[in-house]
Amino acid sequence: MAVGDRESRGRKAAGRQLAPLAPGELTAPIVVPNTLWQAADPLAYDGGQPTDVTHLREFGLTDAGRNDAARWGALQVIPTKADYIVDLIRANSLWPLLSGLACCAFEMMSSATSKNDMDRWGMFPFRASPRQSDVLIVAGTLTTKMAGPLIRLWEQMPEPKWCVALGDCTVSGGRYKRSYSVVQGIDRVMPVDVYIPGCPPRPEGLIYGMLQLGQLVKDRRGHWTEREIGPTAPDDI
Amino acid sequence: MPTRQRAPRPSTGRARTTKPGPQPQRQPSTDDPRIMLDRQVGALYEPIPPYPTRTEREGEFYTLGDGEMFLNVGPHHPATHGVLRLVLKLSGEQVVDVDPVLGYLHRGVEKICENSDYYHVIDQVDPLEYVSSLFQEWPAVLSFEKLMDVQVPRRAEYIRVLSGELLRVSSHILYLGFYALDLGGLTPILYSFIERDEIVEMLAALTGARMLFNYFRIGGVNGDLNHEFMSRLGDWMTRAAKEAESQATLLNENEIFVRRTRGVGILDRATALRYGVTGGNLRASGVPFDVRRAHPYSVYPELDFNIPTRDEGDSLARYLIRIDEIRESIKIIDQCLHNMPDGPVMASLPRLIRPRPGRAWGAVEGPRGMLGVYAISDGSDQPFRFRIHDPSFLNLETMPALLPGSLLADTMTIIASLDPVMGGIDK
Repeated sequence: MAVGDRESRGRKAAGRQLAPLAPGELTAPIVVPNTLWQAADPLAYDGGQPTDVTHLREFGLTDAGRNDAARWGALQVIPTKADYIVDLIRANSLWPLLSGLACCAFEMMSSATSKNDMDRWGMFPFRASPRQSDVLIVAGTLTTKMAGPLIRLWEQMPEPKWCVALGDCTVSGGRYKRSYSVVQGIDRVMPVDVYIPGCPPRPEGLIYGMLQLGQLVKDRRGHWTEREIGPTAPDDI
Repeated sequence: MPTRQRAPRPSTGRARTTKPGPQPQRQPSTDDPRIMLDRQVGALYEPIPPYPTRTEREGEFYTLGDGEMFLNVGPHHPATHGVLRLVLKLSGEQVVDVDPVLGYLHRGVEKICENSDYYHVIDQVDPLEYVSSLFQEWPAVLSFEKLMDVQVPRRAEYIRVLSGELLRVSSHILYLGFYALDLGGLTPILYSFIERDEIVEMLAALTGARMLFNYFRIGGVNGDLNHEFMSRLGDWMTRAAKEAESQATLLNENEIFVRRTRGVGILDRATALRYGVTGGNLRASGVPFDVRRAHPYSVYPELDFNIPTRDEGDSLARYLIRIDEIRESIKIIDQCLHNMPDGPVMASLPRLIRPRPGRAWGAVEGPRGMLGVYAISDGSDQPFRFRIHDPSFLNLETMPALLPGSLLADTMTIIASLDPVMGGIDK
C-alpha cells in the first residue's frame, strides 16, 4: 500500500467535509488508497462516498469502527494494530518443528506427505531448527530423560509459539500411565495449546488439531503476549 | 445487503485464574519431571559428561587428542531416526570415535508387561517396533503359545503371514524413503508414504488401527479377513510390483545416491557375526541367515521364497537387500492369497490364561532382523519375566565399529542404512 502526500489527498478528497486540523495535530496524515479489494457492503463505509481514499481520522468520526462491520471484507480500511493483522498471517502459515519422539512421528510425517498433504493449509515446512518454527508438535512418548532437551527446544523457539500434544502419551501418559520413566502428560512441563488424543491419532486428527490451533490463534488475535509460559497442568493433579 | 454480523468469540488463552483459598502443595517425588529438569538443564548439551569418567573406555573417549574436537548430534536431530544422541569425536572432518547415548525413549515396557496379564502384553509391546508393530506382537504370541502348547489354526497362520509381509513391504519402502531423506533427497519419501498409507489403511480395515494394531492373539488373530481389506489388497497387488520397481529406480540410477553409499560403512562378515547383527544388514554382509528359514515358524516352510544375500556389506548393499526383500515379500503375499485355507482364525482358549510354569523363546524375522521374546511363566496370569530381544539395538551397536575413519557426512548414511527404530532400542 502506498502512502500519499498531503496534496494528493486533498485533491482526491475534495468536496468532503472534514474537521479542520488543529495546530500541532498530525500534519501529514497516513492515507491508504484502496486498490486491493471491493467492499462487500458498499454502504458500510461513509454512506457510499468515493472509496478510493480513506483516512483513519475521518473513519474515527463515524460509528463504523464500533460495530461489527469493521471486520474483514466489510470496509476498505482496517483500523488495527500490526499484531492483529500479523496474527492472521501467523494462523495461516504454522510451521512445525521437525521433532519426532516415537510412534506418533510417523503419523505426523504421514500428514505432511502425499496423501494427507498438510501443505494445503500452509503447515508443511517442517523446520529442522527451533529458531525457524512456530509450532512444537510433541509427537510421541515424552520420557523424563527427554523432557530436558524438549524443554530446551521449546525455549529456543521464538515467540509467538504454540504447542500441540499429539497422542495419548503426551496428553495424559496414556498407555504408560504405570510407567516409571514417562512424563504423565507434557502439560506438566510445558504449556499446551491443543490436545490431540489417539494412539496414535490418524493424520486427519492432526490436521483437524492444527486447524483448531489456527482458529485459536485467530481468537487470541493481538493478545499472544498474554499466553501462559509455564506448565498448564493444575498443581493439584 | 445485510451487515455482516459475527458473534464475538469467547477469548481463550488468558491467564488461569487461581482458586481462592490455600493451594495444595505438590509433594516432590524422585521421578518428578520438574526435579529431573533441575538436575539436567545446564549440563545437557555439554558433550563432556558432568561427572568424573566411570570406565576406562569413557576416560579414553573423553580425552581429546591433538586437533580433535567433540560434536554433539541429537537427541533432537532430523537424521537420527528418533531420539538417539551421538557424541562424535572429530579430527577435522573425520570421525575418530563415537559415544552413543541411549535411553531417551526408555518407557519401561518390559516391566509393564510383567505386570500385565497375558492378553494385555500384546497391546503393550506394540509401540516398541512402531514402524511394523505386528512383528513385535508375533514373537510375544509365539512364546506364549509355546508356554500354553496351543495349536494355531492354519487360516490364522496364513493371515499372520499375509499381514506381516504386507507390513514388511511397508517398512522397507519407508526405509528407502528415509534413507534418501537423510542423504538430502526429498522426493522418494513422498512416494514411500503413498504406498505406506495404502498398506496401513488396508490393515486398518483388517485390524481397526493404522499403526499399533493389537491384532494377533494367543492362538490366532483377532478377526477374519473382510471385504474391504481384500478389495484394497487386490487393488494394491495389481500395481505393487510395478510401484516397487519404480521406487527402486528413483534411487538405483541416482548417481549422487550411489556414490554416497557405495563403499561407505563396510560391515564385514566376521564383525557382523561377532556383534550379533541380524536381518537385512547381516544378509548384506554375505551371511544367508533368515529366521524364516533357519528356525522356521508359522507356515513359512510351505511357502516358496528366496533369501537374497550380497557380499559387499556396504551401505549400498544394505539398501539393495531391502529392494530384493520387497520383491520376495510380494511373492509371499501372492502365495498366501492363493493358498489361504478355510477354517477358524482362533483356537479355543480359556478366558483367563495361566500357563504352566516354564520358559519359552519365540523369534520371528522382522524387517530389521530377529525379534525375539523370552517369557518365563510362574503359573500365574502374568509373565514372571518378559525379555524382549530387539534387532535394532544390535544393529546400532555396530556404530563404534563402522563410524571411525568415515567422514562426518557419512555418519548419516551409515545410521540410515542400519535402519534403527529407537522404540525397540530403548524399550
